[in-house]
Amino acid sequence: MQASRRDYYAALGILRESTPEEIKRAYYSAARRFHPDQNMLPGETEMFLEVQRAYEVLSNPERRAKYDATLPEVDPDTIAPVRIHVDYSRHSLVRLDEPQLIYALFEAAPPGGPGKEVIAPLNMCLVLDRSTSMQGEKLDVAKATAVRIVQMLRPEDLFALVVFSDRAEVFLPSAFQSDLKRAQSRIQSIQASGATEIFQGLSAGLNELRRNRDPRRGSHLILLTDGHTYGDEQQCLQLAEEAARLNISISGFGIGGEWNDIFLDSLVGRTGGNSTYIAQPQDIQQMLVQKFAALARTVVDDAILEFQPQSGIQLRSCHRLQPDAGPVEIAQELHLGPILQDERLSVLFEFLVESAASKTESIVLLEGYVRAVVAARPIPFPPIPLRMERPSGTSASQQLPPQSIVSALAKLSLYRLQERARHETEAGEFELATRHLRHLALQLQAQGHEDLSKTAILEAESIERMQSFSEEGSKAIKYGTRALMQAPSGSRE
Amino acid sequence: MISCPNCGHQNVTGAAFCIECGVGLLSVDTVITHKMEMTPESVRSWAAAPPMPSPVSGGDNWVTLHLLDTGQVLPLTDRNEFTLGRVVEGQPVMPDLDLTPYHAYSHGVSRLHATIRRGVDDVYLMDLESANGTFVNGRRLEANEECPLSNGDVVALGGLKVQILLKSP
Repeated sequence: MQASRRDYYAALGILRESTPEEIKRAYYSAARRFHPDQNMLPGETEMFLEVQRAYEVLSNPERRAKYDATLPEVDPDTIAPVRIHVDYSRHSLVRLDEPQLIYALFEAAPPGGPGKEVIAPLNMCLVLDRSTSMQGEKLDVAKATAVRIVQMLRPEDLFALVVFSDRAEVFLPSAFQSDLKRAQSRIQSIQASGATEIFQGLSAGLNELRRNRDPRRGSHLILLTDGHTYGDEQQCLQLAEEAARLNISISGFGIGGEWNDIFLDSLVGRTGGNSTYIAQPQDIQQMLVQKFAALARTVVDDAILEFQPQSGIQLRSCHRLQPDAGPVEIAQELHLGPILQDERLSVLFEFLVESAASKTESIVLLEGYVRAVVAARPIPFPPIPLRMERPSGTSASQQLPPQSIVSALAKLSLYRLQERARHETEAGEFELATRHLRHLALQLQAQGHEDLSKTAILEAESIERMQSFSEEGSKAIKYGTRALMQAPSGSRE
Repeated sequence: MISCPNCGHQNVTGAAFCIECGVGLLSVDTVITHKMEMTPESVRSWAAAPPMPSPVSGGDNWVTLHLLDTGQVLPLTDRNEFTLGRVVEGQPVMPDLDLTPYHAYSHGVSRLHATIRRGVDDVYLMDLESANGTFVNGRRLEANEECPLSNGDVVALGGLKVQILLKSP
């Protein structure tokens, strides 16, 4: 379908109005991706040549102008792959001699409505912890889950299974798993032994994904573990960054109380993935199957927000609320996460506006581009310009913000109280931690979340008595309040 | 800065929920905060409620009002009976709890709308001949007749919907 049309802008994934600087950048990244020394798929060399031709024309102002004159008025290919909408917590800012906060709720949905998108086939790897602590029900359910996922694969999906303890073993190399029986008996032969070294599993898993690297597939790694990893955290984070560059997303699932949720969040956050807490071994199957089903409905694999920091504006936090609630790692490029066929992406931004920055007519909070990574379409989409901006006046606006952002902020505030209590416990400020947990319990009760409220009270008592959270309780509250953020907006309250 | 009506914590302007206790701050904009500071008597009962000890375990708040439109939560402490209403300049009798910051006027709340009282085992609500009426779970109360409340009841003062959260004994 690309053969007849020769749109040089589309080939480079840029806009008609892109600057020479942007053209150059797009060219370098495309050339790197399709370079004959690296590419391994049929058609990639042709794409590389197309990118070369496009750059030859567009990098020269004269040739570019001549080429532009030949283009039709409206090019259907510049239609954005996503619709973006932003709501703000305040209609306008106030010129103040002190800092102020404003929140922005970013939402991105496929433009065509559900059912019109192309879903890319998967290149997926399941990385399974088989350390001694997994022995028994945990490993049994995990094995049954692996079998279930192999059964759910579509014929066009690639699947690999890696198991690890302090070393990794590729149980099923990345391939189309057509021989169900063989796959099943391989999975059944997994035995528990050894300690947990996540780097081993991660590294072997990413190798499997790289072996069949194909930009036209959604690449995902699912990590299932129940233990702490020691000493290899930095290496793991580096691997995650490498994975992000190859558009591989990582999701982490932690069973029970003994794993390091802060580390896992940081790991998956770099790739636009999320971490999940599994309280009971019997829930493993449901959670993983759910994740797999979401992967099979993914339209946009990752929405990457590239932006320049504005002076006097601090991006203080960034939380994805949908499809999977979790923090987004703050960096020059934000991996906001995927967009599903039937579920939009929504992300809550928190900005602190310093006094000096509030003294202008209009305040730009963030300016940049959203790049949609769509595996189903190898030619990149043009980046979508995004500008978050609010007027600034002398008095506060009395207008109440839209309900969607109010309920999102209410949930974020609960998540934050929990986070605060954890930091305070670590810092030895036990009195503050118990007070914040009790406030959290009251708010949870007021919003009808009785069980979570009780857990928060129990944890407050645990901190009073033993000066520490229980491992299970802290995770139950963290992931419990996180799950609340995910509740469809406007359903309660 | 915005002062939290529940715990008094000073939050950064623009904060939507108190970072200290999680109570909603959205309608407590700077302007309204000033108004509250000008009439300390009317709000002392809850604005000045000390942040410690925590309301949940301390047992101070026998009832909590959950404002359904804004998600805000007002724990009531210190006394056993509160009149609910809104404060208007030059008013001879002030309500104990001023609902002005929660858009009481536009919701048709009377100046002295209702009372909420803590009995031995129960909590009672009584309408004070309000203009737009007091409702419990959609049923209109007779004026000046006490009605026992249960945890989770939705009370409407005119159009202002409040969920009643009672402390379990």
